[in-house]
Amino acid sequence: MSYLSEVDLGEDFSPFAFYRDRFERVPNIVRAQTVLPRAIEAQAILEAGLLQAEKTLPRELKELLLVTVAASRGDVYTVTLHGKLLSNLGVSELAIEELLKDYRQAGLSATQVALFDYCLKVSHWGPWVQAADVESLRQCGFDDDSIQEAVLVAGLESYLCTLNAGLGVEPDFEPRSLPATQTAPPPPRIPPSNHGSREKVSFLDSVYRSPKTFEPFELILSSHGFIPNYFRAQTARPDLLKAEAEAIVGVLHPEDVLSRRMKEYILLVVSAANLNSYCVAVHCNLLRGLGITPEEGDQIALDYREANLPESERAMLDFSLRITQRPREIHRDDVDRLRTFGFSEVQILECVVTTALNNFANTVQMGLGIEPDFDPPRAFEKKKMHRVPAESRPTGEDTGASIAAVAAEDSDAALVAEAQRGNLDAFEALVRSHTRRVYRTLMAILGQPEEAQDASQDVFLSAFKNLGGFQGRSKFSTWLVSIARNTAIQRLRDRKSLESLDEGAGEADEEFRPRQVRDWQDDPEQMYSTVETRELVEKSILQLPAKYRVVLMLRDLEQLSIEEVALNLGLSSPAVKARLLRGRLMLREALTPHFAASAGRAAR
Amino acid sequence: MITCDEFMAEFGDYLSGRVSPEVREQLELHLSQCRTCQVLYDSTRKTIKIVTDSCSFDLPQAVSEQIVDKVMAKLRRAQGQ
Repeated sequence: MSYLSEVDLGEDFSPFAFYRDRFERVPNIVRAQTVLPRAIEAQAILEAGLLQAEKTLPRELKELLLVTVAASRGDVYTVTLHGKLLSNLGVSELAIEELLKDYRQAGLSATQVALFDYCLKVSHWGPWVQAADVESLRQCGFDDDSIQEAVLVAGLESYLCTLNAGLGVEPDFEPRSLPATQTAPPPPRIPPSNHGSREKVSFLDSVYRSPKTFEPFELILSSHGFIPNYFRAQTARPDLLKAEAEAIVGVLHPEDVLSRRMKEYILLVVSAANLNSYCVAVHCNLLRGLGITPEEGDQIALDYREANLPESERAMLDFSLRITQRPREIHRDDVDRLRTFGFSEVQILECVVTTALNNFANTVQMGLGIEPDFDPPRAFEKKKMHRVPAESRPTGEDTGASIAAVAAEDSDAALVAEAQRGNLDAFEALVRSHTRRVYRTLMAILGQPEEAQDASQDVFLSAFKNLGGFQGRSKFSTWLVSIARNTAIQRLRDRKSLESLDEGAGEADEEFRPRQVRDWQDDPEQMYSTVETRELVEKSILQLPAKYRVVLMLRDLEQLSIEEVALNLGLSSPAVKARLLRGRLMLREALTPHFAASAGRAAR
Repeated sequence: MITCDEFMAEFGDYLSGRVSPEVREQLELHLSQCRTCQVLYDSTRKTIKIVTDSCSFDLPQAVSEQIVDKVMAKLRRAQGQ
């Protein structure tokens, strides 16, 4: 029935009732997942939320759409199962056959055909989707709710298709044969473009929801540590958002089968292969929060086969990629190969479900045009991702080109190349232009000017020694700051300072309650001389705990972006944001007595 | 209207100008009606400006030169050997 064995979950397992109600039996795709009941729960939540509910698009239309997208992907299993459902809903056999042959000639209205066209484009050519495509759907009379529902149905088919392929599910009924006439849509002629405006979170109009009181957001916060735009974009439909959040968190959060790190690797690698720069950026960031350095994360996204991973993990990533890209070519052998690496049935299933969920989210992100939360790693910027032909989706071939792309944007690249050849004058120029940044980084961590000056020398000497190992995967300045950070931390350890720079997750939850609520002077900078102000600021900054001080100094003094700070310190962007705000608020607190409206020179 | 806690949850992104128009509208509505958050917002913005303008921990040119010279002297000596 499938590549995995079936476990008896008893008649009372509640999702079974949902499926019996829908299909008059528990379908094989569900029975294939009984070794991990929560996988079935996630799927049932998605199907119930996305297909069953009849809020905007009629249920029958959604099933027709699902079957059409499934047919275009050669997903015989879903076509067969949901074709049966359509019969049960009263759709004639002839109508189903016509739909499978050519949905444009199957009695759908012209506007319905436009909606189907859009979903097929999203499903096959996601990165090419444009805001204009959605605009023309609006002109057909579809509102945001309908567009969202349709995109989610296309996403659901990506989910089901990946599941069927990875689990080798046999059809429940006599399999339908797919006519050769209807295949995937042809490549779009218009070149892909960035969405351009960042006015909105996505193509849709969303509604503001507070992370503290909106139930689905609480769930996401617990698992992601922040609310990605992916979810913010969908707030107009709490019902759909809730279903997605529950399914996603339900699959990603538990660590009893595969580790979160392994799951994030899968999400990163498969998103990269799907050319989804949005999801690549999110998962690079989440991995950073799990202690994976930005360089390692980039390497995995670029080409995990060259990354320093155990062979077994590489095999699992190979499998995730194959079921995504070549779902029709999977055999029992592929699953057996995973078993030889010691993976259990539950682990294999969780790998398939994680991959399926990734493909769901990738499709939805592209179909809704959700704007990035962070800048993606340079090699994955949207404009560059598009240069990769869809047939030869990446990981592997273009590693060299991507590194060249980073180098092209690093103004130090030429000097670095010279210095690597042993040219000391070139290295001197590099030292000269980065002394201040290195010093500030050290000062931020060590808090003592003399020591920071002394350590600056160590940093440059160490950089010179290791210059051969610098491969241009990040900017030279980023690499230098990370050496400065390590040097400073080593010195802290040597002087046995217990002040910690790294604290685990959860810090974002710590509340910092502002105490002083006093109006400030209109023009506080006029109150003291430049020198006085600077002394005051320096003194106050040095009193901050180091972990806040470092982030604040790199952002507000060195003027690095949040993403650059994250990259430099090996933190996730949400962690940087949380620390930055905290640091700024603490500093505000310290400066208030000096700059409050009631404070004059006399008050000092 | 959103609460002060809710305002604080978005405060960091708001300071960086990283909120969508929908969120911005809510936050600004709150600001227009909550004196406490208004003071907090105003003074935090001023704090950031003061810090940035202060050029704190800037390395004096002379010290910077010294560091460059010391590093390069060591490297040139090593290369000469």
